[in-house]
Amino acid sequence: MTGTSVVATDHKMSRCTRGVAAAGVLLALAVPLAACTKTAEAPTAPAQPAATLPDRTKEQNIELGRQHKTAFELYQALRQEAKGGKPLQWAQMPDWSGVYSRPANAGFAFDPDQKPGELPTAKLTPEYQAKMMKRIEDLKKGIEWDPISTCSPPGHPRWLTEPFLREFIVTPNQTWLINEMVNDVRRVYTDGRDHVAEEDRYPIPNGDSIGFWDGPKLVIHTNQLTSGIYQRAHPDFTDQVETVEIWRKADDKTLAADVWVYDPPALTEAWYVKQSYVKLSDPDRNLRIRYWNCGENQNNAVVQTKEGGTQFRGFTFDKGADTQKGKP
Amino acid sequence: MIRAFTTTVLALGALAITAVPSFAHHSATMFDDKKTVTVEGVVKKFEYTNPHSWLWVDVTGKDGKVTTWGFEAEGPTTLQRAGIRPSDFKVGTKLTITGNPMKDGKPAAIWVDAVRADGKKFNPRAGFAIK
Repeated sequence: MTGTSVVATDHKMSRCTRGVAAAGVLLALAVPLAACTKTAEAPTAPAQPAATLPDRTKEQNIELGRQHKTAFELYQALRQEAKGGKPLQWAQMPDWSGVYSRPANAGFAFDPDQKPGELPTAKLTPEYQAKMMKRIEDLKKGIEWDPISTCSPPGHPRWLTEPFLREFIVTPNQTWLINEMVNDVRRVYTDGRDHVAEEDRYPIPNGDSIGFWDGPKLVIHTNQLTSGIYQRAHPDFTDQVETVEIWRKADDKTLAADVWVYDPPALTEAWYVKQSYVKLSDPDRNLRIRYWNCGENQNNAVVQTKEGGTQFRGFTFDKGADTQKGKP
Repeated sequence: MIRAFTTTVLALGALAITAVPSFAHHSATMFDDKKTVTVEGVVKKFEYTNPHSWLWVDVTGKDGKVTTWGFEAEGPTTLQRAGIRPSDFKVGTKLTITGNPMKDGKPAAIWVDAVRADGKKFNPRAGFAIK
């Protein structure tokens, strides 16, 4: 429809210009040109609808998490509050362009509000609290092993914490949330589809994400995740973990996400955190997200020690060693 | 003159080091973040790779023996953000480099800072700064 309209406008403009030139009367030129220009106006883009969901305080968001027993229940409540959400057209998509990164003020902590030297802010079941405390005690003894050491992906919700370059691609039917680390892309389907049927779900690192737009805010529900850790010196999450996220532009340079994590075996209540990603200034246009081949350099290969710690496999300058990926 | 020495970091310095993020991908517990080692040498190889880069430096001891030291840093895009390009450390480049050494005494360290013979400084951790 848009294409037809543009062609017709161009045609009118062309005919009009020729007519004016044929007249050859300079003094009269201004009037017909103005008329022609008016005819050639571009179609007006539909305005982006305003958000229905309010901006809530941290305390309100924590309370909102408590009010709902599951992530999907919270997602449904938000969808109801947003009157179902409204699909956006191309011209209504928010501008999330640019290359972003997560500020490392709080290191890699899952909750950016975690104070230095304090424990993660999650409310854990006794079993998962004990597991986390053991991990922290081991770290004090110099014993630590990160499950991504062998190049497996961090997986969501840990995906939120990694400090590398990010891009966010918004389209009416899908949004891609990209982290350069291990070429990690989360696809969020906003075309109205549901999750995979429960009996056909299987755990995958970034899970299955569906969402809806509430004006400039993207609301996401993610399930079908694998187990993992939120970060080092952090708790585990299980393969029952599910999240709800509300993403939006907080200001010209900042994308913010309210995140609620539900994981009944590990969390006694939803863990609410607010994540922020800041657009990097790139005046020389040097920042590029490149393919991330985690196994390209054997000098990065590490092994788990008998005590459970981490040690390099050994250093080499033999180029051929880089092709021996995965060899014990 | 080429030299190698290890020092215990002053309390203030230790705080500054622990305040920066640890390595992504693998734990950094094989390194001693309470110590630093500084060596002078020449670049043998710069592996500008993911998930970590390695700057390999040949260091000649008083006895004339050459030891190759490895300095580990983050991957290419983080180094780019810190203003460190592959061409900054061509083979043979003279430099003084400081890092947190491995606990087991192997000649490798986390790259903290480097100063080239022309005086230019390179701090890989600056690559995490948001600007």
